Amino acid sequence: MKTSRARKGFLALALALVFAFPVFTLSAHAAAKEGTDYMVLAKPIPNMDKTVIKVFSYDCPFCYKYDKSVTPAVVGQLSKDGIKYTVWHLKTKGKYGPQASELFAALITKDEKAKLGLFDDKSSFKKAKMVYYNAYHDKKERWGDGKDPAAFMKTGLAAAGISEADFQKLLKEPATQARLKAWEGAYEIAKIQGVPGFIVKGKYLLYTKSIKSIDGMAATIMELMAK
Amino acid sequence: MKFIKKIAALQDHRIMWILLFLIALALEQVAYQIFQKWLYMRPCEQCVYIRFSMVCLMIAGVIGAINAKSIVLKVIAYIIAIYGTVKGIGFSLKLIKIGEAFRSGDPFGVQGCSSTPSFPFGLPLHEWFPSTFLPTGDCGVDYPIVPEDAVLSSTQKYLVDLYKDGWYLIPSKHFMNMEQSTLLAFSTILLAILMFLVCWIIVEVKKKGQPKQEKEA
Repeated sequence: MKTSRARKGFLALALALVFAFPVFTLSAHAAAKEGTDYMVLAKPIPNMDKTVIKVFSYDCPFCYKYDKSVTPAVVGQLSKDGIKYTVWHLKTKGKYGPQASELFAALITKDEKAKLGLFDDKSSFKKAKMVYYNAYHDKKERWGDGKDPAAFMKTGLAAAGISEADFQKLLKEPATQARLKAWEGAYEIAKIQGVPGFIVKGKYLLYTKSIKSIDGMAATIMELMAK
Repeated sequence: MKFIKKIAALQDHRIMWILLFLIALALEQVAYQIFQKWLYMRPCEQCVYIRFSMVCLMIAGVIGAINAKSIVLKVIAYIIAIYGTVKGIGFSLKLIKIGEAFRSGDPFGVQGCSSTPSFPFGLPLHEWFPSTFLPTGDCGVDYPIVPEDAVLSSTQKYLVDLYKDGWYLIPSKHFMNMEQSTLLAFSTILLAILMFLVCWIIVEVKKKGQPKQEKEA
């Protein structure tokens, strides 16, 4: 009786070691851990193999912080390895979420025509985005809290240096409309852990709270790209 | 022992539970009526979770006050009260971390706040009571944001200016921000609740032990 119990105990211990071993070796090799550093999206976004998507909102303090000091540096590192970077604006956050989405989508169309990158200093998208961030987060501007969309638009159009008519023209372009349609998916991502949200290969969502440094973030993205 | 008995006797009185209810209600109402509605400070995601914790304390207070001598009711009240305070401490700690990252230049290690909250047990409190439980602000942003068309009274204007750098227990000195203050409040309430609970258990155990000892003697 006693020996069989001891044998069972030994067997259980041996089995536990056998199963634990690959787990230990795996975690020693891989820096990025599923569940801690990232999660796998239930519904992957197609055609994003070599791309990092950032889901953001103008009404999001940490998006501003990331755009000021983190994202441009990380994207700079990644672009050397041929990794593309794109943004999705979340229209469900903020009183002027839908207006901001339309303006940003239109401005990216304009920049693409001029062959300007998202972080290019001449990019009208970047100009408008930074002016909104600055007005909202630093100057506490709220444009009538949802009651004055025209005032909100005026700020962005002035920053981008285009007229309302130019904007309406850009908005109607197929590229802009296609972009807005893709951005509809932003909410599904944002509701998982909020914004900013970074998605690698359309498949892996980084846990923002586990991002510890610019180099660490770039390394995690590279690792997931190789998966 | 005398002291322990005194404390245990206190929580046998309805008044202690009513007091718990009133403290939680007062903190919640001050936050909502004065700071949110009157001084235009907007609640963030963690802030509405902190309100949820306060509601737990209110519920515990009501259950305890129904019959403070009923063991069953009191056990339920204790469980809810301890759950509420422990959760509240967690939410406050998280907000402290977010707040620090927000105020510093280092954004790493935290996730900012969402505008769609997910309350414990999947309760859609923000849909049932949006004025209290829908986050309209961002974590770390707890200064007043006055609408352009608002006409402020002189008292309001004075207070809005006083809190222009954010909510502090003593605004002029920047002493204890909102999340540190709620942490202190929840910790104090938890300590008090645990003290009452432990004293109550000691007295009950002694009571149960008493007849036995007599028999043995």
